Amino acid sequence: MDELKNSTPELSKLKKEYPFRTHENYFDDFSVRLQMRIKTEKHASEPQKTRFIQLLKPALGLVASFALIFMLVYVPLKTFMPNRIPELAESTNEFETGILNYIENIDESSFISLLNEPKNKEVEFSDDELALYVSANFSDYEIYANLEN
Amino acid sequence: MPDSEQNIISDLRDENKRDLAFHTLVKTYQERLYWHIRKIVMNHDDADDVLQNTFMKAWRNIDKFREESSLFTWLYRIATNESISFLNSRKRKSMFPLGEDNEFLMDNLMSDPFFNGNEIQMKLQQAILRLPAKQRIVFNMKYFDEMKYDDMSKILDTSVGALKASYHHAAKKIEDYLKNAD
Repeated sequence: MDELKNSTPELSKLKKEYPFRTHENYFDDFSVRLQMRIKTEKHASEPQKTRFIQLLKPALGLVASFALIFMLVYVPLKTFMPNRIPELAESTNEFETGILNYIENIDESSFISLLNEPKNKEVEFSDDELALYVSANFSDYEIYANLEN
Repeated sequence: MPDSEQNIISDLRDENKRDLAFHTLVKTYQERLYWHIRKIVMNHDDADDVLQNTFMKAWRNIDKFREESSLFTWLYRIATNESISFLNSRKRKSMFPLGEDNEFLMDNLMSDPFFNGNEIQMKLQQAILRLPAKQRIVFNMKYFDEMKYDDMSKILDTSVGALKASYHHAAKKIEDYLKNAD
């Protein structure tokens, strides 16, 4: 260090004093201003949470819409469908029970006569009825062609 | 690490005591940091901005402070980096061509209403401003603040040998300027 002092005599002659000053009370005010800036930054970071929610809003809206549609479709289905199925089952059961009751109520001879009854009864038509039917449903050419055969 | 610094650190880790501890930290270091920054940026308003940014950065990153260095070293390092970043941003915005980035600092010096030195002190400041930025910081920390090379080494992340050499070169350049300038 002495070597440096010897080699820099002009510099060594000078007072080691920094020749600048600052505002009076600057350092008292500084810490107050800094505290205010920190407070502002803290407050500024709070709305970021709101901004985050705002970013989520469309997604939340979409989820809510799906939930609403689901409720509108699923709830009525759940409400009405389970009632309808027992109703249908009940009505089918009623029909079967009715037939069984009817069969049980008829006597044995009536039941046998029902079974022996021919399925297709022959229906007899008069000549006039036949003539009317033929004239209404067939043309003269068709009648002639049939007679030829 | 001094006890007072250890107390501040432990209080800063406590959520309930953090605000008060940070206020104590600001009160303890604001003046030393201000003058360190002022010597780099050469203007009160700029020094005020950089000092605020330094403490805001410290506030935001207090959880990342690992006690590998002292609080004092950590704050000085932030302040130095913030000051250099400020000078670089001014350099980019400056109309002066590259390499003449000290011109606006010289303008600041000549028009500074807070300068209260004599003619030879003004000459010394002009000589200091002619140094490269890193050499200027080293010279100021050693010459005016009389900081130990070990502390400077931690703050500037430079070896003690390199710092000694840098200070030596700076002192020689200043001596030449003081001898030869009108």
